[in-house]
Amino acid sequence: MGVAEKDKPIANPLIVLREEFDDWAILFDPDTGNAVGLNPVGVFIWKLLDGSHTAEDILKKLRESCRNVPEEVEDHLQDFIQSLVERGLAGYEAKKA
Amino acid sequence: MKLMSSPQSLDLDITNRCNLRCRYCSHFTSAGDVGQDLAKEEWLQFFEELNRCTVMNLCISGGEPFYRQDLPELMEGIVKNRMRFTILSNGTLITNEMAAFLASTHRCDGVQVSIDGSNPVTHDAFRGEGSFSRAMEGIEHLRRHRVSVPVRVTIHRENVHDLEGVARLLLEDLGLPSFCTNSASFMGLCRRNAEVQLSVSERSLAMESLLNLSKKYNGRISAMAGPLAEARNWLMMERARRERRESLPGGGYLTGCGGPMSKMAVRAEGVVVPCTQLNHMELGRINEDDLIEVWQNHPQLKRLRERGTIALCDFDFCTDCDYIPYCTGSCPALAYTILGKENHPSPDACLKRFLEEGGRLPDESLMNSSGNRH
Repeated sequence: MGVAEKDKPIANPLIVLREEFDDWAILFDPDTGNAVGLNPVGVFIWKLLDGSHTAEDILKKLRESCRNVPEEVEDHLQDFIQSLVERGLAGYEAKKA
Repeated sequence: MKLMSSPQSLDLDITNRCNLRCRYCSHFTSAGDVGQDLAKEEWLQFFEELNRCTVMNLCISGGEPFYRQDLPELMEGIVKNRMRFTILSNGTLITNEMAAFLASTHRCDGVQVSIDGSNPVTHDAFRGEGSFSRAMEGIEHLRRHRVSVPVRVTIHRENVHDLEGVARLLLEDLGLPSFCTNSASFMGLCRRNAEVQLSVSERSLAMESLLNLSKKYNGRISAMAGPLAEARNWLMMERARRERRESLPGGGYLTGCGGPMSKMAVRAEGVVVPCTQLNHMELGRINEDDLIEVWQNHPQLKRLRERGTIALCDFDFCTDCDYIPYCTGSCPALAYTILGKENHPSPDACLKRFLEEGGRLPDESLMNSSGNRH
């Protein structure tokens, strides 16, 4: 399945994005106490998980904003979003029936 | 070391009131004893700012936090604003209903309850009659609802001979996974009740007893300060001196406290301070001053963070000391309460002075057991 066919991921509003320094950050889940480190690209993506950007939109913005974007960026992006979803840090808005 | 954009955690004196007057309480008669409490609404407004600042954890103390009737509403404010919390308590006011409420928040990392003896005689000696049984009831309520109870034992003259009994009570009878220790130190009420503090010989005894117990219970006794921490630290310093090592990490400078790099505190009336022990150093006021601005730019906080560049060899106090390359000067708050200046090594934590006054270090072999590794 291509990126363009994905829905619009949305960050779990309960999760705290704690930006530290040098554009690195922590995602903190106050319900579990777990914290996940994010590199600057991860932070860039996280901020676009607002329910209005598709993965394809995010990919486009990444290519516009970052240098030396690897060819396999699409797979990396999908894996990253999927890992966030699996950990309950992000999800997709449920569509009304 | 780079500074975080905002503090990760804050220590809040949520109330100035307490049902007990423990004779070594570090709060009463200190600069944190402000005689008034903030209204609930002010705390709730502040929690919203903490949410915006992405603060992760709050440590709630006082006074006695459970003295506040509106504590559940404050806890709800913490939960609503995406934070977790711990509570420091004497345990005596914790009811079954309160323990159930804390469990229901799913955000409580634990309630630290003070237990200072294996029986009412040693516990109540400086805390007041009846406090042991009520604190034990509080622990029972918390455990019934599976709220973590990290017990703290403050060691003083009346319980220093009861440490084995304390360990048996907490680790065997109650089956707690661990407990931590410190000692009555020259802060707050302890300054005028100096007789509660350990003498040099009692301190030596406490160090040896605690290392033995830590070995016996396979490391289930911990300490950030007090005799057990001192025993471990001082034995390491003595070994480094004997082996003529160049230095130990942080040694030779006032690096003993990293608190100002990750946390701040608020007094019961809303004044922001670097730490609940450095509560004379006023940095601003909640809901009036911008917390990030205070955190990043307050000159006093900046100076405190630069404390680690001050060399111990510059102090007359440290003249002719062989331990300088291995010493970090320890707690700035204790230096302040003893000498009136925080930018000084704490005299209380001075190994040279301890030995000169007749103190003796425990046998080094006690450090080599699996339970006493660093």
